[in-house]
Amino acid sequence: MTPDSNANATDPTDDRTDAETLRRVADRTPTRLDVGRAGPRPPTDALLEFREDHGLARDAVFSRVDDSLVDDLDLVTLRTRVADADQYLARPDLGRELAEESITRLHEECSETPGVQIVVSDGLSSTAVETSVPELLPVLKDGLAERDIDVGTPVFVEFGRVDVMDVIGEELAADCCVILIGERPGLRTAESLSAYFVYGPERGGPTAEKSVVSNIHDSGLPPVEAGAELVDLLANVLEQEASGIDLREDDREFETES
Amino acid sequence: MTDFQGPLTSIGIDVGTTTSHAIVSRLQIETPPGDAASPAIVDREIVHRGEVRETPLVDSQTIDVDRVAAFVDRELTAAGVSPAEIDTGAVIVTGETARRENAEPLVHRLAADTGQFVAATAGAALEAVLAGRGSGAAARAAETGGTVANVDVGGGTTNIAIFDGSQTCDDGMGFDDVTVAETRCLDVGGRLVTVDDDGHVESVSPPARTIADALDLPVAVGSALDADVRDRLMSAMVDAIVDSCSGPPFDALTRSLSIGTLPDDQPALSGVVFSGGVGRLVRTPPKDPFEYGDLGGGLAAAIADHETVRSWSVFEPAEDIRATVVGAGTETTTLSGRTISLDESVLPLRNVPVAAVSGPVSDTEETFKQRFDAATAAILSHHDPGEVDAIALSIDDVGDLTYDRIRVIADALESALAPIPPTLPVVVVTRQNCAKVLGQTLRRTTDRSLLVLDELAVDGGDYLDVGEPTAGGESVPAVVKTLAFGE
Repeated sequence: MTPDSNANATDPTDDRTDAETLRRVADRTPTRLDVGRAGPRPPTDALLEFREDHGLARDAVFSRVDDSLVDDLDLVTLRTRVADADQYLARPDLGRELAEESITRLHEECSETPGVQIVVSDGLSSTAVETSVPELLPVLKDGLAERDIDVGTPVFVEFGRVDVMDVIGEELAADCCVILIGERPGLRTAESLSAYFVYGPERGGPTAEKSVVSNIHDSGLPPVEAGAELVDLLANVLEQEASGIDLREDDREFETES
Repeated sequence: MTDFQGPLTSIGIDVGTTTSHAIVSRLQIETPPGDAASPAIVDREIVHRGEVRETPLVDSQTIDVDRVAAFVDRELTAAGVSPAEIDTGAVIVTGETARRENAEPLVHRLAADTGQFVAATAGAALEAVLAGRGSGAAARAAETGGTVANVDVGGGTTNIAIFDGSQTCDDGMGFDDVTVAETRCLDVGGRLVTVDDDGHVESVSPPARTIADALDLPVAVGSALDADVRDRLMSAMVDAIVDSCSGPPFDALTRSLSIGTLPDDQPALSGVVFSGGVGRLVRTPPKDPFEYGDLGGGLAAAIADHETVRSWSVFEPAEDIRATVVGAGTETTTLSGRTISLDESVLPLRNVPVAAVSGPVSDTEETFKQRFDAATAAILSHHDPGEVDAIALSIDDVGDLTYDRIRVIADALESALAPIPPTLPVVVVTRQNCAKVLGQTLRRTTDRSLLVLDELAVDGGDYLDVGEPTAGGESVPAVVKTLAFGE
């Protein structure tokens, strides 16, 4: 072996004109790296792909959850004070309150004082609800039943924001409330669902006292696994009688720089 | 927010044909933000690099276990840690040492005595992979996206691992590690023939005898080793190493020196790394070929001179003689997925034999059940349930992660587990992220002691060690390994 037999063994990432390496780097991430350009704009393929993803995101926001799905999942349908999709985006405050007739319906059709009140809501992605909730919800219900936790009557809220669970939980005097809600879609996935939960729900309760499991979708936390994890987390919330930052009291050792 | 947690202290011990070493390292664990992410070992720092010592033998067939244990103690003292402070790690017996009569009790004793959760391991293929991870060949493949072979040439064996970095990417399940395309191992090493100070042959090990007979070379204990004979012997050894890296086709001599089965396809190597006691010398062969009283120095020089080797892109190893021990100390422990289902009371579990449930996921429920039954039958036919800590079933592919699918698998598992004594713990391992839902579903139908771990790749015939929970109790350290003695 001669001393220069290593001449061609340099690190290929040093060579910035190496198209092959650039391709590999770009392939490692779903972000739009190295799409190229045609004059001042992206090439047609990349532009179409971008518009398709953007269309999927818009659809997730503006479409409605299919009524038959709500029926199949045996959910009681409620509405917030929001009138339509445009108002939903413009007035987050209305998405946190239930319409008058829905409050009546809540008391008529749902059992009071459940251990865990389950709420499903479209939020900003109906697509997320349609793809993930049918897998997640049965796991969650079976798991909680297994632990003798009463889940009452699960409901579906159209045009809901996270804090609508405070209203529903307070009205029904639930020990704990969990909301499965579609997240603001990105250009990577429009199917991301989150589960927020709170112990002792009441109107105006602080966000800091809510816990969350996020990124629930097929290429994130799989919905079935999220369901099983929520069972453990909710059982812990009921046992500790706390949620959110109150659960992490022992972890809160802030250090100040002297 | 990233969850930080204290590092794990890890030990690596390699008892090889010629030399033995120990290293102590710290493995930093981090859980990336986001509920879909699982904890991972993000940094490996070697805090104590032990001396390279000659492996103590009682006689040619027996390792001096007490002296090996004593040197490990000395290294721990030098590193300033006690066995109680060692969280994890691995002991490996390598090369010809793995064939010594007391190799098996030796690794189990060292594993049990030197830390909380130290795995006993043996096997040429595992050794090849650990050496390649320790030498940096695996990292090189990952960085460049190429196919890099690590050729670990030791005293008794040469262990080749071929790493394929072309698929290195995050597929959403956290497997962003470089893949091991294959391993190729053969009985060629520097210490197959030893010579005394006067140049007389002291010992000839069986593989050297095979080569000498094949070439009709006069090599006899007590007589001088003729320079021409020596050169031809070494040249045959190098040819076998190069042949093993490049084939098929394989030369008849390469075949007779090979350990395990030989692959069917030629690798397209973009680079080669040499490690091991002899591999270390490839770059700078000693002037006196007998400097080490064996063929090592000359073998290294012959490798460097080989025409095919000169045509390869040869990369510098990050570790050379310690590649295997660094691999054992820093690369054997992995972490399971974050959502797991555990019966903690049975941990730690050691040397758990694994049966794989593999096959097309599109199978009907009935054939699916049969595959689970076959896996348990296979494991019970090889292992006495009374003599193992637990048994493990590894499910290659769960299929689509739907609740229906999980229930089908739980049913198949439940009936497959029926012949296993109810007191024996069972570990179920999946590659996909579904341990919690599978554990919860199984728990409804069975009372047996059960661990379900996910995001681990384990093959049938492997063994598994599982430690107590770490990373905030959400993940367990696991060592996937082989226990192949006397290969």
